[in-house]
Amino acid sequence: MTQSLAAFARSTWLQYVALFQWATPLGYFAYKVVLPVTQIVFFVQLGVFATGPGNALYFALGNSLQLTANSGIFGVIATVSNERQYGTLPLLLGSPANRLLTFMSRSFVNVLDGIVSVVFGLVVTAILYGLDLRTANLPLLGLCIVVISITTAGLGLLFGSLGLVMRDSIIVANVVYYGLLILCGINFPVSRLPDALQVVAYSLPLTRGVMAAREAVAGAAFGQVAGLLAGELLVGAVYAGLGYALFRLLEGWARRGGLQEAY
Amino acid sequence: MRSLIRAAWRSFEMSTRLRVVSPWAYLNWLVFPVIFAAIGLFVLTSSGYARVAYGVLGGGVIGFWSVTYLDGGNSIQEERWNGTLEQIFAVPTPLVVIVIGKILGSLLLGLLAFIPTVGLAYFGFHAVLPALDPLRFAVSLGVLSFSFFIIAVALTPLFAISRSAFTVLNGLELGVYGLCGFMFPVSQLPQWLQPISYALSPTWATRALYASATPSASGDIAGWWLASIGLSALYLVVSVALYRFVEVRARVSGELALA
Amino acid sequence: MPSDPPFRHAIEVADLRKVYTTTRGTFRRTKVENVALAGIDLAIAPGELFGLLGPNGAGKTTTVKVLTTLLLPTSGTARVLGHDVVSATGDVRRRIGFVFGGERGLYWRLSGYDNLRYFADLYRIPPQVSKRRIGELLEVLGLAGREHDKVEGYSRGMKQRLHLARGLLNDPDVLFLDEPTIGLDPVGARDLRVLIRGLADHGKTIFLTTHYMFEADAICDRVAVIKKGRIVAEGTPSSIKQLVGDIGVVEFEVDTISQEDIERLQGLDTVSSVVVTERELALVVTIHCAQPAEVMTQLGRLLDGIAFRRVSAREATLEDAYVELIGEAS
Repeated sequence: MTQSLAAFARSTWLQYVALFQWATPLGYFAYKVVLPVTQIVFFVQLGVFATGPGNALYFALGNSLQLTANSGIFGVIATVSNERQYGTLPLLLGSPANRLLTFMSRSFVNVLDGIVSVVFGLVVTAILYGLDLRTANLPLLGLCIVVISITTAGLGLLFGSLGLVMRDSIIVANVVYYGLLILCGINFPVSRLPDALQVVAYSLPLTRGVMAAREAVAGAAFGQVAGLLAGELLVGAVYAGLGYALFRLLEGWARRGGLQEAY
Repeated sequence: MRSLIRAAWRSFEMSTRLRVVSPWAYLNWLVFPVIFAAIGLFVLTSSGYARVAYGVLGGGVIGFWSVTYLDGGNSIQEERWNGTLEQIFAVPTPLVVIVIGKILGSLLLGLLAFIPTVGLAYFGFHAVLPALDPLRFAVSLGVLSFSFFIIAVALTPLFAISRSAFTVLNGLELGVYGLCGFMFPVSQLPQWLQPISYALSPTWATRALYASATPSASGDIAGWWLASIGLSALYLVVSVALYRFVEVRARVSGELALA
Repeated sequence: MPSDPPFRHAIEVADLRKVYTTTRGTFRRTKVENVALAGIDLAIAPGELFGLLGPNGAGKTTTVKVLTTLLLPTSGTARVLGHDVVSATGDVRRRIGFVFGGERGLYWRLSGYDNLRYFADLYRIPPQVSKRRIGELLEVLGLAGREHDKVEGYSRGMKQRLHLARGLLNDPDVLFLDEPTIGLDPVGARDLRVLIRGLADHGKTIFLTTHYMFEADAICDRVAVIKKGRIVAEGTPSSIKQLVGDIGVVEFEVDTISQEDIERLQGLDTVSSVVVTERELALVVTIHCAQPAEVMTQLGRLLDGIAFRRVSAREATLEDAYVELIGEAS
């Protein structure tokens, strides 16, 4: 047990290093600091221009929370496509390692990274736009952040598995990342979307979690948002499950020789 | 001279043909602009249609910009992966001629971004531009194209010698949208940021573009055109030095090859 | 066409040095100097097929890149057809062609013909001329009929011949080939060597780098051996072989051999080097020595208790001379 835990920790750390081995320190800084700050500032200024300065925090909070997708979507998909690119996937599949554990470890590092991203976003929001968390339900907000980081990574796992068969999975990552900006109540309430898109929005991670987090910032108690969080977790679990099922399916398919393209 | 024009034309043709089969191009001219247009339109129409021009055109301007300049950078990265970067460097045609051909291709592709975004505004939000002054609008778009073209041509050699330059500028994308006023006026920005905005040539062209599409807009549109063109000319001078620097730098360090 | 300054040698290199400076570390940046060329001299006559031999990292590619204007030397001079490669890049680029080995360097999603036409325009060749020349090259290089297929469907040999066609588009006087047969199957490599020899016979100056000794032996007029950025030998293939004297080679196979045994072999007066290479299921020990017969008689005594087999003695090949030179200069 401790052995597999150590293996888990090691593979987690290695994946984080591998994830950013393309980046120079400057590139890493651009991706992890400049991009989040500019995203928050851009959408806040857009929102203030459209709706007045009173709403700055709505936009800042939404975008800070969405930053978890930077890790959950880009990170998870890149972890998988890295393995494809460097040809390490067959080694992994050929090893006796526990499949589920291996699969989960790919997302774990990105969940941690996602939590850090959101906290960073909130700090930026506090500094630039005076976010005041004194009246907030902080433990609940923390819980919300953990939950959305897990559920977003769940969605990332599904697309990561798809990435095994697609050459340009990072393009899909881009579409999903920015798609979440429209659909999940980040910059405007989900209720403004057309009905059909609202259905899509509620079947995505983030939507309920962001609502819950907004409530937590306003000081809501756990009971008031428990339903939202449960729904959020359920959605994330469904995507992660689909991702794992797809992963196993592709693995079997590849072993029968039907999927040369995957490697 | 004729052989140089032919080289530029062939570079234009080749990069366009390579782009048609690259999914990245579709992401940049179709998907991204539509996503930004959608967010912009949802946000900007939440309190009436007074600012709708920024929503109708903003996604298109963003798409136009990112295709023009990111595609130049992308195509240099692709040449590197391909192993062709050294070859195009060692031909008797100057690098700038090849780059001009490539960027002209990007520019045309970038203009396509206006089609899905304006379409989304019209069909999805019933938003139109009631006060469009066609002549001024056309000139403004021309000035904007010129400013994008010059910046893309000027920055592309940086991507040839530095792999991280592209990553860094990629990370700054949203910052550029804000600084150049692509989706909201520069006056929205904090005071201390505005001088940076005013040093960027697209800022003035974008301002002219929105003024020519907004009812009762006032301002010295012709002066803004001149400001944008003047800044572009300045960039051009700097970029000559940059090309010289890159030519030498690449030959000192051998960075054109993929290690 | 601009006229060339008078020159005796198609390629002339004097005391050429190239030092790469790289910085390491993120916070404490330290400069690391890496000497790729430590001062080399070369003189290659017009029409000569010259081979530069050396192990990986010896400086072969750096030499080619300096001569093709892709790299600036740190010091020293290099002239191609009398033009300085540092300052007269335009004149040099117009008159040379170059091909780097391997499959990269082509636009795979386009046809072979498109690839050639693109580079013809970048070489600023008038369309009438380029059309005719592309046709000829496709014919000569055995690509005719496949020129409109996408490059991704070509075999390695075809890709390499397409590379060669690209390198010949501007009818260069000097052609640089950096390990052109790398990754080719034996038949494809032989065909390519025949083509290269043919080009030299038609008067082109060819600068070839390789680490296949037999390749240089087979086609080069003259070779130089480069090691750690220095030329350690130069001459015709046969003169290089003579350089290492009346040396012979003793070879045998063993399952295992200890370091002490190797040292004992090296201790013999007549032995100049002992190289152990792995072959399928066995180790091959190659002994370069004077008087091979004498060494053979001593093997049994020196390697007491070791089962060795397939003992043979032979005359030195260029490869042996090369191994000798490379070993000696270390």
